Amino acid sequence: MNNQTSGRPIEILLVDDNPGDVRLTTEALKDSNVQKRLHTAKDGIEAIAFLRRKGEYADAPRPDLILLDLNMPRMDGAQVLEEIKKDPALQHIPVVMLTGSQEIEDIIKTYDLHANCYVIKPMDLEQFIMMMKSITNFWLNTLKLPMEEK
Amino acid sequence: MDQQTAKSKIMAGEIKQSKELFRILFQRSPIGAYIIQNGHFRLVNRQLAYILGYEESELIGRPSLGFVLAEDRDAVRENAIRMLKGGCSLGYEFRIVTKQAKVKWVMETVAPIYYQRKRATLGNVVDVTERKQVEERLNQTTLEIQRSNAELEQFAYVISHDLQEPLRMVSSYTQLLAKRYSNKLDADADEFITYAVDGAKRMQMLLHDLLEYSRVGTQGKPFSLVNCADIVEQAIANLKIAIEESGASVTHDVLPTVIGDEGQLVRLFQNLIGNAIKFRRDEPPQVHISAQRRNYVVTFAVKDNGIGIDPQHSQSVFEIFRRLHTREEYPGTGMGLAICKKIVERHGGHISVQSKPGQGSTFYFSINMAGGGSA
Repeated sequence: MNNQTSGRPIEILLVDDNPGDVRLTTEALKDSNVQKRLHTAKDGIEAIAFLRRKGEYADAPRPDLILLDLNMPRMDGAQVLEEIKKDPALQHIPVVMLTGSQEIEDIIKTYDLHANCYVIKPMDLEQFIMMMKSITNFWLNTLKLPMEEK
Repeated sequence: MDQQTAKSKIMAGEIKQSKELFRILFQRSPIGAYIIQNGHFRLVNRQLAYILGYEESELIGRPSLGFVLAEDRDAVRENAIRMLKGGCSLGYEFRIVTKQAKVKWVMETVAPIYYQRKRATLGNVVDVTERKQVEERLNQTTLEIQRSNAELEQFAYVISHDLQEPLRMVSSYTQLLAKRYSNKLDADADEFITYAVDGAKRMQMLLHDLLEYSRVGTQGKPFSLVNCADIVEQAIANLKIAIEESGASVTHDVLPTVIGDEGQLVRLFQNLIGNAIKFRRDEPPQVHISAQRRNYVVTFAVKDNGIGIDPQHSQSVFEIFRRLHTREEYPGTGMGLAICKKIVERHGGHISVQSKPGQGSTFYFSINMAGGGSA
């Protein structure tokens, strides 16, 4: 039971305003053995435009997984999450909250908004790479998720 | 002269004497004194006139409440009535306005008397303005200190929290450099990268501990009943690896139940037991925890057989980032005991250490269960 059997790469949308984090995630995902395409949005507004295929994102694929940073300008991760989870066309997409915050209030808030998973970005590079591997393996290989036609 | 006349003469003399005594006492008293009838001054002494800034003669016949600051008049009237009924015997404080329009704080006591065969009130007044001002300043200072402490705590919290993000970048990318380019550049580059990686790692630990320190005050949990034997067992379980590796024996007496923040008390015991194991001599560490209760205060003792602490450092070991050894000898940030002190203080207690180098240390800390803590 593997999404890879469908023969298409996994589409991942990474929403993060920090280019350093985007690059780091890219580097970490290189190490994972899943065939994938990483798309990035630098804030919540862009992420929603991508998901709703607005403007320049008219041909954007529907992501299989969203990695969503909590602290962003304009529209933060919690707001994006809320938007996704109340949209019938998007609410099935697994959302992993990625953040540097260890605040228990932040964690509870995102679970209240139906985040599928909350991950604190580790300080240590090896742990960061391990974390990215576990996320992609768990959400994309182990689970059979309700996939819609593209 | 018959006996009757002689007797009344003696009595008249005694009355005269006691009138004179009263007059002297009244007039020369360093306490403001007066007699009021129907709300008006009938008799005032020099000190009262001095407090009010008038001549004595200017006060006679004037309504006494007229000198009380308008806002305080109702309270003064009520207090005087209560006191005259014998309901309370303590003085009460209020503000008066002097002839020079200066406001002063006074404390007054009153008693019901007869004066010239009519009901009257005898009052005594002391000028307490200076004391009030000192109190006021003290209150101000206390508020100021509380505010600035809260601000500092918030400051430390925000700093340690917000610095984590950029530090994660430094730390991740120096590690990525090390991973990709070690042995690919030259020896200098390898050395530089090593120091950068190490520096970032140490800063991480410092920030982590500083954040924990600031959280003692800002993120504490409400107090509840806590069984200290359970707490110590939890701390021991958290230190399992260190205890096994060092062959330490950690024992404790029967321990009481206290009122406190469970998570913080586990951290407190964990830091103290952890230190006892870390700063050990060549022999296996022995740690013993005991407790003594007196009224609402429980004093715990955590005794070890470790390297001990020079008494000259017995205060400074509790300061933040205080280390008595090099990082090569004993790793750590120097925050452990500062966190302990903060936790103990939040529980209304004190922490101290008694030790001689080479003879082990005993850390004492108290927990006050009579509402010493703050959330």
